[in-house]
Amino acid sequence: MSTAEQAASLPVAHSPNPRIDWTIVRSVLAKDITATKRSKAVVAPMIVVPLALLVGLPIAVGLFARSAVTPDLAGLFDHLPSSMGEELRAMEPRQQLVGLVLGYLIAPLFLIVPMMVSSALAADTFAGEKERRTLESLLFLPVEERDLYVAKVLFAFLPTVAISWICFALFCVAANVVAWPLMQGIFVPTWRWFGLIVFMAPAVSALGLGVMVRVSARANTTQEANQLGGAVIMPLILLAVGQTSGLLVLPAVWIFVASAGVWLVAFGLIRGGLKRFTRDQVASRM
Amino acid sequence: MTDAIVCEELTREFPSGRAVDRLTFAVPQGAVLALLGPNGAGKTTSIRLMNGILAPDSGTCRVMGLDPQVNGTELRARTGVVTENAGLDDRLTARENLEITGRLRGLGAKRTAEIVDDLLERFDMTSHADHRCQGFSTGQRRRVSLARALIHDPEMLFLDEPTSGLDPAGARAVMELINRSARERGRTIVLCTHFLSEAGSTADWMAVMHQGRLVSFGRPAELATARWPGLEVHFDLGGPPDELTRSEISALPSVLSTEVDAVGLVVTVTDRAQIPGVVAALVGLGATVYGTQARPRGLEDVYFDVQSRYDSSAITSLVDSPALTS
Repeated sequence: MSTAEQAASLPVAHSPNPRIDWTIVRSVLAKDITATKRSKAVVAPMIVVPLALLVGLPIAVGLFARSAVTPDLAGLFDHLPSSMGEELRAMEPRQQLVGLVLGYLIAPLFLIVPMMVSSALAADTFAGEKERRTLESLLFLPVEERDLYVAKVLFAFLPTVAISWICFALFCVAANVVAWPLMQGIFVPTWRWFGLIVFMAPAVSALGLGVMVRVSARANTTQEANQLGGAVIMPLILLAVGQTSGLLVLPAVWIFVASAGVWLVAFGLIRGGLKRFTRDQVASRM
Repeated sequence: MTDAIVCEELTREFPSGRAVDRLTFAVPQGAVLALLGPNGAGKTTSIRLMNGILAPDSGTCRVMGLDPQVNGTELRARTGVVTENAGLDDRLTARENLEITGRLRGLGAKRTAEIVDDLLERFDMTSHADHRCQGFSTGQRRRVSLARALIHDPEMLFLDEPTSGLDPAGARAVMELINRSARERGRTIVLCTHFLSEAGSTADWMAVMHQGRLVSFGRPAELATARWPGLEVHFDLGGPPDELTRSEISALPSVLSTEVDAVGLVVTVTDRAQIPGVVAALVGLGATVYGTQARPRGLEDVYFDVQSRYDSSAITSLVDSPALTS
């Protein structure tokens, strides 16, 4: 019997499982999170930078506003969107600085910082594995490409959301405590802040990692992924994200509508990456 | 006997060139195949193709009856692979590296824990089980890597340079583990290595690749016999024999050739059974025979012979194996 005949006579196996295997996803996720937690060089900036920008900065602003001579912001309010200006004018002069900075101006950071964190983690997903020479052994496992990709996306997404939500909770506590003598009450979160953090921040994180996981699968090192994603693509997205924080001056419903739009684009990017991701694509660059 | 691996005209190109060029061979179930060749010959790419990690540009491959491109996940569930770089996550401990592999291979947590304990003991890594791999020596990494490849008791093993970077003692220890693993279950093993002596002691089939093409394939002994008919035997005579002795021995019907060396005579006889006759002839001619040593040609000789033919010239044809031409 020729080898071709032998091959033809061999049994035909089943097609791959069409559903995501969450046991596999959880295992890959557990591996990545366990390993990342042990890397101080990765964990330290992930914790310190968000804490400094999202908690430390508001505390500093609140303390400054409490002790500073009340600034005259009336001229500035003329240049702000009308609804925002009216809201701030309605406050007492000593409350206006805190209201302006902690109520509005800090908002972009709550979108940009999670996006930076998710992008940094996403850059490491495949390129980091290549760099550490662990990707090949992962590819040799009986893991569907789809499950592997989903695990990598979640690896970048879940810690980011956790960090941004924890930082927001800390921000709310710190801002209200520090500004209590001025505000005489809880002024954050508002419904608009809630929408921004719960819906928009995860959406922009997903948007960032939707790009960066794809870049990571093509790059050979994390540095290469960061350079390609960070230097070319991400600034454009960050610019757009920075503008979305202006949604705080609009009615809360617009935040939900805009979040839905960003989620759609993010899903499209992730789905597109998932469809294009193959072992061959990654292995041919190893 | 069923073939465990059947490759037909398997070809894969990269922008840098053709890594595997019309690879065609069939490896029987339970065989240990030494896949040999210099760096860049296409060995690693072939292993990746056979496991569905890379897709071929053309040609087909069946491993244990499965098409790696169609049934890759099912196939990889039945194979174990040791990559050239051990591929361990340095941030995890030896135990964690093994446990995660067990879970990703669908073994339950309890079953994985049992197997991991057993493997760590078997591979003499129990005392290092909870140490991060970052500080491991190359030999320790290799052992953990090999344990990981065996965690699901695979039917087939692919070992890509399993002893690279090891000192001789480490290489021997790893090869003993491989030999034991191969023989205890009758696994089919594909072994890529530059260490020909270890390949020679383990492999019962050999394939030599050069610039992506298979240039020799078959059983080492058969390939050697086709190249060098007869059996080379060294006769220790305490010094070079005289010309008469040499010519008389050369005239024997069972002798194919003779060669004088510093301590005696190297005689190529038709087969092993002719050795006593040559000894008797030497004694009859007045020579003192202090000892004899048969030097059968094997994998190493075949490899160097094949390489010498392809080192300085372009590949023109595939001629070596009956399996290739049938």
